[in-house]
Amino acid sequence: MNGSTTSAMVMHRITRVLQKNRRMIRLSLQACAHCALCSESCFKYTNSGRDPRFSPSYKAINSIGTIYRKKGRLSDSEYHDVSALVWERCALCMRCYCPVGISIPSLIACARSICRERGIFPA
Amino acid sequence: MVTTAQKPLEEIFAMIRTYREARQPRDFLQCLTVGCGGCASICMAGGQREVLGLNEQLTALARSAKVPVRFSSVTVERQCNPQFLEDIDDLVRDCHCLLSCACGAGAQHLGDRYADRPVFPALDTLFLGVDIDTGFYEERCRACRNCVLGQTAGICPLTRCSKGVLNGPCGGTRADGTCEVGNGLPCAWSSIYERLKDQGRADEILEIRPPKDWRETGQGVLVQAGFEGRYGRAGKA
Repeated sequence: MNGSTTSAMVMHRITRVLQKNRRMIRLSLQACAHCALCSESCFKYTNSGRDPRFSPSYKAINSIGTIYRKKGRLSDSEYHDVSALVWERCALCMRCYCPVGISIPSLIACARSICRERGIFPA
Repeated sequence: MVTTAQKPLEEIFAMIRTYREARQPRDFLQCLTVGCGGCASICMAGGQREVLGLNEQLTALARSAKVPVRFSSVTVERQCNPQFLEDIDDLVRDCHCLLSCACGAGAQHLGDRYADRPVFPALDTLFLGVDIDTGFYEERCRACRNCVLGQTAGICPLTRCSKGVLNGPCGGTRADGTCEVGNGLPCAWSSIYERLKDQGRADEILEIRPPKDWRETGQGVLVQAGFEGRYGRAGKA
């Protein structure tokens, strides 16, 4: 199997994941009011000295948001950044609370799925 | 963390082979190996890397045994959570059986959701443990539902005493502080005494602890305080 074939297959699988979750991702990204109320429910955020990069909304927007906007066509380094965001800054404890009703864990899980399809996941 | 370890490859393959022979599908048997991104991934038994490796080994074994089975794989973030299992509904539809790379809870949850397909466990669930080092884990808890750590200086006699005695030491402690049962394990009650002494409460070891009520060890259900209204029940059972 050559590199380009692998790449095409991977892109196909990534597109499939994005298509399957398209409505949920789009609605969530549109509905997010950037109110940051989710931040207080995140122990990673509160334990990081309230670093805004640990806020659940930041993590969702800069992981699945980026992937969705670029239709999965991210560079390797961008995928590694997303991977660090969704695995190292999120424990997927599912305790983040959104007053609008956005399921942030679903967005993070979707970003993780795409990273897995791309072959980037924690050891 | 729930600590797991992969079953012997032959044992896993035998389960699938038996099912294949009993079912005799006209075409290849499609087996979906489902990894777990939670505890099984952390203890390096059932994460994405292990699932891909396991599938390669099983495929080679099936080929050499001339058993027509095709293995595909997917890793969900947590097999014990329904929200993450939803993602694989369409993949499960295309397979005949599932191979779970999760703890017993995850494998059963998979079986509950896809009750019309057999779920075979690829892992053995060993214990609730701590990470000593990468790939090195030790048991610390038996989840007995009535924690005595407050009386035993934070050392669980049920888990770490070879005999699980609640009122020790039993008299089988060697001079070097190890257990007479062997394996070089330290005597838990010797460790409890030493730690209680360091904490200035050595006399507490003389308190008699009543036998554990094992009648309470049926299927566990927990509704945390504050969630009673949502689920219409309260407490643990």
